[in-house]
Amino acid sequence: MKILIADDEALSRRLLERTLDRAGYEVIAVENGKEALEQLCKPEGPRLALLDWVMPELDGPGVCRAVRTRSEQTYVYMVLLTSKGSKEETVLGLESGADDYLTKPFNAEELRARLRVGERILLLEDRLVEARENMRFRATHDQLTSLLNRGAVMDLLARELHRSHREQKSTAILLGDVDHFKHVNDTLGHVVGDEVLMEIANRLVAAVRSYDFVGRYGGEEFLVVLNNCDPAFAPLRAEEIRKSISNRVIQTAKGPLTLTMSLGLLLSSEWGKKPIEELLHEVDIALYEAKAAGRACLRIAKSRTPVESSPSPLPQTVRLRH
Amino acid sequence: MMSKKEEGHSEPVWNLAELLERVDNDQELLRELLNIFKDDFPQTIRSLQSAVNSEDLKNSSRLSHTLKGMLSSLGATPAAAAAAKLEALSSAGETGSLEGAFSALEAEARRLLPELEAYMAEVRH
Repeated sequence: MKILIADDEALSRRLLERTLDRAGYEVIAVENGKEALEQLCKPEGPRLALLDWVMPELDGPGVCRAVRTRSEQTYVYMVLLTSKGSKEETVLGLESGADDYLTKPFNAEELRARLRVGERILLLEDRLVEARENMRFRATHDQLTSLLNRGAVMDLLARELHRSHREQKSTAILLGDVDHFKHVNDTLGHVVGDEVLMEIANRLVAAVRSYDFVGRYGGEEFLVVLNNCDPAFAPLRAEEIRKSISNRVIQTAKGPLTLTMSLGLLLSSEWGKKPIEELLHEVDIALYEAKAAGRACLRIAKSRTPVESSPSPLPQTVRLRH
Repeated sequence: MMSKKEEGHSEPVWNLAELLERVDNDQELLRELLNIFKDDFPQTIRSLQSAVNSEDLKNSSRLSHTLKGMLSSLGATPAAAAAAKLEALSSAGETGSLEGAFSALEAEARRLLPELEAYMAEVRH
């Protein structure tokens, strides 16, 4: 673990450095408060610090105050070192944001014990951050497939549509639905159904670039967003994605299955600035057309001009796909 | 070698045992610290003397603080106490008492330096 030592006096600094080095720390030693603050502000900087109270440029309490004002960064555990030790000073030191206080000359054993307290606090913080990150992941991802969930993928799509409109590029929206998935669930059970969904999720992620998005849109429906996708190549890429599902059997606990996917495709550049709901509705219609055409195929949403005045040629009722 | 107790002083001039404990019996580190001291001390005390002579309270306080840290890390408790006194007087603005306090610090340093020299000479063999 990295630790920062800030002391302007060479002998004490060397003594501390060696003591902590021997205790297994990775020591960074500096001579004044300004350098200390620089080190502590680095992204991968030390999270444990021993700061001498009296230093040129910026004193120990000054470093503590400056570090504590940057609330967004990870916690730094700071111990002030001083030769004095009056009650007033202790209070002043702790109020400046220091976590602990040691009087010089230090006792090596006490110093190590107090730093272990600091490490415990930092470990606690790490666990809290990890728990928060886990919760954030769970709030934005589908539990079964670990893909983005519907809310998260729609948020990202909205942002991407905004950007592609601004930059006059095209975003390709793909809505895919596993053909006859209900049959898998009904005849082989939900456990196999889940296996199929997980494998399809993996194949979709493998079929796109790292900066594209794949989300679970509904039960067996997947939304794929191809960012900055040349409209001329989009149908080709959509076909590749479709074939990544059908060209290989899916291994399940009840044996291998061959499944296909129907896909609707929409190119944002052909639709002007339309609300995301409208675009998703149009790609849904294209998917329905693919189903109606016999499944295992791709249909592209065609912009009917003028879109605003023409009633949709397809029924708006809820459609069931199998 | 044990530090000697001198007449009229209850505390050893240099507590080698304490220092050895602090450095975990690391003789090499101890030699290194003594060398840093040999390099830094004379210059710091000379600067302190001129600060005291010119009644420069800010520097007198800063330099006596530095010496106090150096001396206490080394386990030279009486000299560290003399430096602490000079620091306190400087901070309190007691210009009239600075000379006396400085002389006391110098006297402690004169007792300390031969002990350090003797130790260094001894471990070199």
